[in-house]
Amino acid sequence: MEVFVAQVINGLALGSIYVLLVTGFNLLLLVALIIHFSFPQVVVFSMYISWIVLKATGNNMLLGFLAGVGSSVLICVATAPLFQRATRKRRGVDINTTMVISLGIGMIITELLSHEFNEGFPIAFPENVAGRKALVQFGLISISEGQVYALAAGGVAVLAFFLILYRTRMGRAFRAIAEDPQNARLTGIPVLKTGILSYALTGLLGGITALLLSILLGSASAGLGESVALKVLAVSIIAGLGNLKGGLIIGILLGVLEALTQGYLSGSWSNAVVFGVMLIVILIKPKGVFGGRL
Amino acid sequence: MSLAFYYFLSITAIYILMSWALYLPYRVGQLHFMSIANMAICGYFGAYAAKSWGWPFALVLLAAVGIGGAVAFITSLAIGDAPCFTVVIVGFTYIFLIKTVIENWDLLGGTMGFFGIPRVKGLLLITYSIVFGAGFLIHRFDRSALGRAASAFFVDRDLAKSSGVDIKKLGMLLQTFSGILGGLCGVLYGFLMNNLFPEFFTFGMVGTCMTMLFVGGYTTMWGVLVSAPLLWGIPLLFPPEIASWRIIIYGVLLIAVLVIKPEGIITRKLVYNAKKKLFGRTKRTS
Amino acid sequence: MVRNDGKPILKIKDLSVSYGHINALKHVAMDVNEGEIVVLIGSNGAGKTTVLETVLGLNRPDTGDVLFRGKSLVRKPVDSIVRSGLFLVPEGRGDFSSMSVSDNLLLGAHHNMGDTEDKFRLVYDAFPVLEERKNQVASTLSGGERQMLAIGRALMSSPELIMIDEPSLGLAPLAVKGIFDILARLNSEGYTILLSEQNAYKALKCAHRGYVLETGTVALSGSAEELLGKERVREAYLGA
Repeated sequence: MEVFVAQVINGLALGSIYVLLVTGFNLLLLVALIIHFSFPQVVVFSMYISWIVLKATGNNMLLGFLAGVGSSVLICVATAPLFQRATRKRRGVDINTTMVISLGIGMIITELLSHEFNEGFPIAFPENVAGRKALVQFGLISISEGQVYALAAGGVAVLAFFLILYRTRMGRAFRAIAEDPQNARLTGIPVLKTGILSYALTGLLGGITALLLSILLGSASAGLGESVALKVLAVSIIAGLGNLKGGLIIGILLGVLEALTQGYLSGSWSNAVVFGVMLIVILIKPKGVFGGRL
Repeated sequence: MSLAFYYFLSITAIYILMSWALYLPYRVGQLHFMSIANMAICGYFGAYAAKSWGWPFALVLLAAVGIGGAVAFITSLAIGDAPCFTVVIVGFTYIFLIKTVIENWDLLGGTMGFFGIPRVKGLLLITYSIVFGAGFLIHRFDRSALGRAASAFFVDRDLAKSSGVDIKKLGMLLQTFSGILGGLCGVLYGFLMNNLFPEFFTFGMVGTCMTMLFVGGYTTMWGVLVSAPLLWGIPLLFPPEIASWRIIIYGVLLIAVLVIKPEGIITRKLVYNAKKKLFGRTKRTS
Repeated sequence: MVRNDGKPILKIKDLSVSYGHINALKHVAMDVNEGEIVVLIGSNGAGKTTVLETVLGLNRPDTGDVLFRGKSLVRKPVDSIVRSGLFLVPEGRGDFSSMSVSDNLLLGAHHNMGDTEDKFRLVYDAFPVLEERKNQVASTLSGGERQMLAIGRALMSSPELIMIDEPSLGLAPLAVKGIFDILARLNSEGYTILLSEQNAYKALKCAHRGYVLETGTVALSGSAEELLGKERVREAYLGA
């Protein structure tokens, strides 16, 4: 029973990270009108960047955090024109092209991380950064600092995101484009420029997620990006592409499911079980459980 | 024939087959990476069957066709007409699952790899016979009514649907064919290298074949014939330090092609003009 | 809102637009003077929507020019044209059905967020029903109310020229009358309006001048009374 509760708490923290990633993905889908498969890999890359900065500055947390956010925003905004060029040229199967471009980006990032950074070995974040100290303890159940941060920050970030979306001018423009890009253009919203803004916002989300992942997991590897990306994408299919609220629910559920299986099964098999479950759900409902676009 | 050249020819052939395996479902806009998972499944199965059960090579090939086809077919029942996004996720998930299974199964050698796959005489000849056979079938398909409906898919999805083609059945056919090719690749690769490692059948392979498909040109089957030998062969001419950047260069090329010239090197117009020059007036466009 | 009365605020010169091989507009010329209501009449496919969309910058013309207060609009991006003071209410309302009434209105003011309180006041005075429903999602409004919302959104941008594509389309007769009353009232308050209509009678009744478009060219033009009097117009367009 105690294992169960401990793992549920773990799962909620993990789930909030998935929610952040899915939200970023959905934002790009709805506003920039692209499918960015490798957004989680950009996040992992940012983790590596902040790790390098941490090493160089003797564990200066603020600089490390800024470096992570900075690299995430930079990469997202820098790759924006690549995506935009592809969507502007042709009609029809545009969104597939953005998918393949993002796969290309993911390829490059993963290869870079497996060869050029730390000689391909996984990186570990120092103890005090990783926040593994237990804050509270009831028997087997221990809630670490890291988990509290992850949950809290995740919650705040999602809240802030929804606030931006529903209460600001920029958010209104986002929603207009999400509903009807052609109509939004007519209204005088600069669709292209607003799209780039959404890349920046997603980059910001990515940077925060990188920080939380560092705190929660305490380490990162080249393969982390791929497995997280796969899970996030599966979440978005199951929740329905572009379905923000669906993503919220399914993200948390996946986090809890994963944590629970980790509690009772060994490492890589738990991953396999999670993927197996997701695969079955997708095969039963290839167009999403809650429905969405595409 | 030098050993290096032998390996170059053999692996090029395998990449051609695998890129064709991606080409076919992409006729209807689906990126079917599951074929790489099939490569792993049939490769390991064939290797084990030959080594531990003594199966002859012909039987192993047949098994690859059967298993690869069956796995792809059963999955296509669900995703035959699914959006590309779903198909990609399913493919990646399969790859991941298979990789996990292989890595944790000592019978298959786990992460250490599977060794001792018997040698086969005339493997190069067999490999290229399969390439020619597959190429012939694909060519017939592309010129058939079904194939032309499939290629219309890119131009106008609804128009293609209204031409009376059952999209789901077409998708299932293409995915199954793709799975068979994937399975054959796995067996050919295993018997060529005489060993198998799980790391080979992952996203690096996906990226390489995708690059070959898009750089060569995804609108015709000939693109791959040009890009596979070039993309595989040229890095071999460089010293190892640069060669380790192979995948990164592939990624850059892939993005560059999509942004600059999305149809790739070999476009349909090129093929049409070439056919006109070689054979005079063609009856229909291909 | 009225400045130099009578000078053309919008001048379309020799405009030709084609979609691929289809020539949608051929050498169209028309003026809209400050403070006027000008109507484009024509059947489906005559090119009315094309004219309005080209003015807004959605299409690139092959030849010709569109001058707004003397400045050329051709080749400018849509958002810059909207910021210059034009607004298009497209066929089918163009409201965002998943967003609330007030959010839809705020989108109209996207480029000019100053004095939103005053702007809201203006719109709600003109359309009290919108104030009642200000937090409701647009899809729950009736056809006539949605048309009011679309016009209200245009007003929020403090436009110098409002363009409306087929305001009566899909509306019940009572609502149609209401819309044209509103347009006449807005005009009396100084708004310049360019609209396209298939319902020629009602439109000409409230307009100053009109142009008749047939297969992409201007077949007839003149004051509203002249056009109402013409046989040809009566036969072809004064139906419903």
